[in-house]
Amino acid sequence: MKFSLNGLYIESYTKCANCGVLIYEASAEDSARKKVHEGSIYCSKECVDWKLDRDARRAKAAI
Amino acid sequence: MDFVTMNILESSMVSLCKEMGIVLMKTSYSTIFNEALDFTCGLADMNGDMIAVADYCPAQIGGMPLLVKSCLKEIPIDEIEEGDVILHNDPYRGGLHTPEHTFFKPIFVDGEIMGFAVAIGHIAEVGGMAPGGFCGEATEIFQEGLRIPPVKIKKRGKDNIEVWKLLLANVRTPRVNYGDLRALIAAVDLGEKQMTQIYQKYGKQKIKETVNDLLLYSERRMRAELEAIPDGIYAFSDKIESDGIDADRTYTVAVEVHKRGGEIIVDYNGSSPQASGPINATLGVATSAAYNAVLHMTDPTIPRNSGCFRPIRVMAPPGTIVNVDFPAPEVGGNTETHPRIVGTILGAMAPAIPNRVMAAEGATHCNFVFGGVDADTGEYFACYDLEAVGWGGRAFADGNDGVDSINGNCRITPVEVYETRFPWRIESLAFNVDAGGAGEYRGGVGYSKQMLCLNDEIICSQMTDRHLLAPWGLNGGTEGGVGATLVMKNGRQDWQTMREAYGKASTSRYSNVSIRRGDRVRLVTPGGGGYGEPAKRDPAAVAEDVREGYVSKAAAQRHYGYQEA
Repeated sequence: MKFSLNGLYIESYTKCANCGVLIYEASAEDSARKKVHEGSIYCSKECVDWKLDRDARRAKAAI
Repeated sequence: MDFVTMNILESSMVSLCKEMGIVLMKTSYSTIFNEALDFTCGLADMNGDMIAVADYCPAQIGGMPLLVKSCLKEIPIDEIEEGDVILHNDPYRGGLHTPEHTFFKPIFVDGEIMGFAVAIGHIAEVGGMAPGGFCGEATEIFQEGLRIPPVKIKKRGKDNIEVWKLLLANVRTPRVNYGDLRALIAAVDLGEKQMTQIYQKYGKQKIKETVNDLLLYSERRMRAELEAIPDGIYAFSDKIESDGIDADRTYTVAVEVHKRGGEIIVDYNGSSPQASGPINATLGVATSAAYNAVLHMTDPTIPRNSGCFRPIRVMAPPGTIVNVDFPAPEVGGNTETHPRIVGTILGAMAPAIPNRVMAAEGATHCNFVFGGVDADTGEYFACYDLEAVGWGGRAFADGNDGVDSINGNCRITPVEVYETRFPWRIESLAFNVDAGGAGEYRGGVGYSKQMLCLNDEIICSQMTDRHLLAPWGLNGGTEGGVGATLVMKNGRQDWQTMREAYGKASTSRYSNVSIRRGDRVRLVTPGGGGYGEPAKRDPAAVAEDVREGYVSKAAAQRHYGYQEA
């Protein structure tokens, strides 16, 4: 989540593409954990892995 | 762990939370607080983890940790001073929906911040497009009332007058809102005062250690409960009817519950994209609903705190009906979509733990809201009115009759209070015959409430559900009855839906219809689904249902082969 320079309003809401939690631009912890995968932002590697596992499982089930 | 001290401390803190709620109930102005008890009081540690809570509103209990933590992301702990009170209701940064106002006050001991007293309450009137805060036709957040980021409504013990002025200038009922906001502050004042005394009695270090033990104890007990459930991936989905904008479209709530050892991951991937209308849930709601479902499936004696939530993870993809993106509307997500999510999780878990789930409940709070200028007093009034539904049958008992939906735990406002406070006469309030789904254990029944308008005009809106899609049964039980909202205009003899009478898109979600003096409104709430094959129902229970009027003779004969003695 990105605040304006003066801190008075929100310029953009950034959420993990998998679990949906807010990722705060100003948070060192959030910045350290976040991952970008195929153009989408994830809060952590765990969420990237979860998304890949789910896609693989559903693709297998669809065969 | 020192179990004796831990139990004493836990009981003391929960009692304090109950007492905070009693203060709120007794000092508030609105019926939603002093009759319905639509609030929750709790205590948090300095990280925002909930350490104790009283059994008020499950939606708010599960939402509390994310709410407080989200605020602490924006107001650093070193900027919080003794006597401050922080207020917040923003749905997009941890909140549940716009009416839900969260207050928290720091607990300082010897100059050190130890935690927070927290009160969350549903403010009945929040401005916006419709009196009562539930605009069934809203298409953006700005129509749903005033959005409040984390702000200090009190600074170092003194009112932040500018914040108060902004709040009260943007609502229809400033006098009543002022009273309700003061009641919420009184609750956190009491929590802060008495928790400080508890710290002074036991000492900071002892309480820190004991609270850590308490959270660990709850976590261990929850993990033990979850370990007893067979591992697997359990999937289920359900449909929500209409969003108030596109009446003929349905929206899917999909869950996959991944049960692995002592933890559960609830994945909502596959749920519908967010709706144009106000049925979207926030992340706080999606998280709280998952907690609520798990608490309903597990031992109720596990102390409620953030420890018991640690084994539960939630995956709520953004831009969906379970995790709305700014600026889409959201007010019905907390009241309608939350119980639908809980029901969907219980449905998913039915094959694994059939004795711990129920068939679908009514899953709506009815949310009939209204306002106007009282012809006698000249003062603007507004009301958020919730009504009760039938719950689903279980493997060991019938569903509850006429109880608030699974995330509310609220009371309905008594007829006498309703008539005293608002210009309606309640002409009848009666259970609906045959509204509980048939089954070995039948679903609970909803009821019908018929009201006569006594004011020149009352502006009414609603956000309800289950007018079209009936609550499902489980394991052979049949569907419960659907709800309805009907109006009989003065001088007419027939009942019409809001669609028929006012040209609204949806019968269950609409806003700002003008009910005139002499018009009648009838609210019909849905029942719950049945559980198990009807043929297995005890004939004595069927006879009692017929005798008591829950089931008609015709339905008893049809579902159960009932023969009159």
